[in-house]
Amino acid sequence: MNNEIAISDAPAEGRAIDLASHAVQLLVVCAVALVGNWVATNVSPLEALPGMACLYAMTIVGLVIAKYMPFYLPSVAWISLVAIIATIPGVPGAAFVNEAVGKLNFLAMATPALAYAGLALTKNEFAIARKSGWKIVIVAICVMFGTYIGSVVIADLVLRITG
Amino acid sequence: MATSRGGAIGPALVLHLAVLAIVVVSEIIGLIRVPIGIGAVILLPILYAFALGIIFNPNVLKATGRVLNHDATKLAGTMITIAIMPFIARFGTTVGPQIEKIIAAGPALILQELGNLGTILIAFPVAVFLLRMGREAIGASYSIDREPNLALIADKYGLNSPEGAGAMGVYATGTLIGTFVFALMPPLVHGLGIFDVRALAMSCGVGSGSMLAACTGGLVAAVPDQKDLILALAAASNILTYATGLYAGLFLALPLTEWLYRTCAPADRASTMH
Repeated sequence: MNNEIAISDAPAEGRAIDLASHAVQLLVVCAVALVGNWVATNVSPLEALPGMACLYAMTIVGLVIAKYMPFYLPSVAWISLVAIIATIPGVPGAAFVNEAVGKLNFLAMATPALAYAGLALTKNEFAIARKSGWKIVIVAICVMFGTYIGSVVIADLVLRITG
Repeated sequence: MATSRGGAIGPALVLHLAVLAIVVVSEIIGLIRVPIGIGAVILLPILYAFALGIIFNPNVLKATGRVLNHDATKLAGTMITIAIMPFIARFGTTVGPQIEKIIAAGPALILQELGNLGTILIAFPVAVFLLRMGREAIGASYSIDREPNLALIADKYGLNSPEGAGAMGVYATGTLIGTFVFALMPPLVHGLGIFDVRALAMSCGVGSGSMLAACTGGLVAAVPDQKDLILALAAASNILTYATGLYAGLFLALPLTEWLYRTCAPADRASTMH
């Protein structure tokens, strides 16, 4: 059995980011997301375009940083940091960015990724899930619940103490 | 091997159009709220998109194999990581305007990262004592088994080991049902009325984009008036997980799970899966 498949290229991305092809694929994703946002919120693609352009620019900047930083962090971490800094009040342009991205429903931005994810599932992934059997399904649900509720309990306790 | 990117325009076009169609249908259906006893089950467009993607996946529906060929589904795999990026950027933009509240919640945000070890508390005993699993239990229960965690297991044990099989099993299962679990869970936990909504929000950052989307989507639907704060806290916590997850797994979660297994699992228990 070929076990390589499921890891995809996410952990190994680091230095190997192909900026040109990412830039083109991102354009496609942004176009799909604009249409999805239109259906979800009734905000026309034209009206939402400046916000999408901001997201596009932040993503590219994040990818460039991830490519050239001497230490490894996932590119999504850099993209988040760029987006946070660009929207902190007082940072030049922050008011414009906030106003512009406000036209984009946050959940509608994730819908294309899930559609790709459903279509990308390989024969192997179905096979592994089937072969692992019901025990793994139970463990997986416990893992997700445990990971979530563990954080909830600690966060809640600390918030009670610190107010 | 590099042809799947630039080479063929046809399969790529078919793929993107299929995704566009799925997205439009999913957004038209929109959010559905099903009230039950202690809370509500929240159904989100991202869930329909994933489900529709699976239905039309050529491995499931043979008929679509003629238009969605191998190149198209392989490209789809690449596109997941690309497509989640604008979402992550949009999520990051919710943090800036709330930066003061984020800093105020700083200690809770940082300490709740340790709560991700809660999987060991709950899943490990279930795997070892209830389901009587062997060393698969280590890979399966030490973390949420997304890509960085899987890479760690692959590096340490190899994916063909029992530990690797356990991790791969939870990875594949999480890929299939994780979005659903994370959309349903937070509104139900919120329904208990015990926990601060900020705690529920910051726990959504478990290091997976789709789980983050499902978790916050569900929570915002349950507590709409706290939307901005929920998004900002979840985004901040997700960044922390990106930065710390691999190291927490390497230095805390995996050694702890190994030690637990050596200490309390019966010595003669071999591989028990299927």
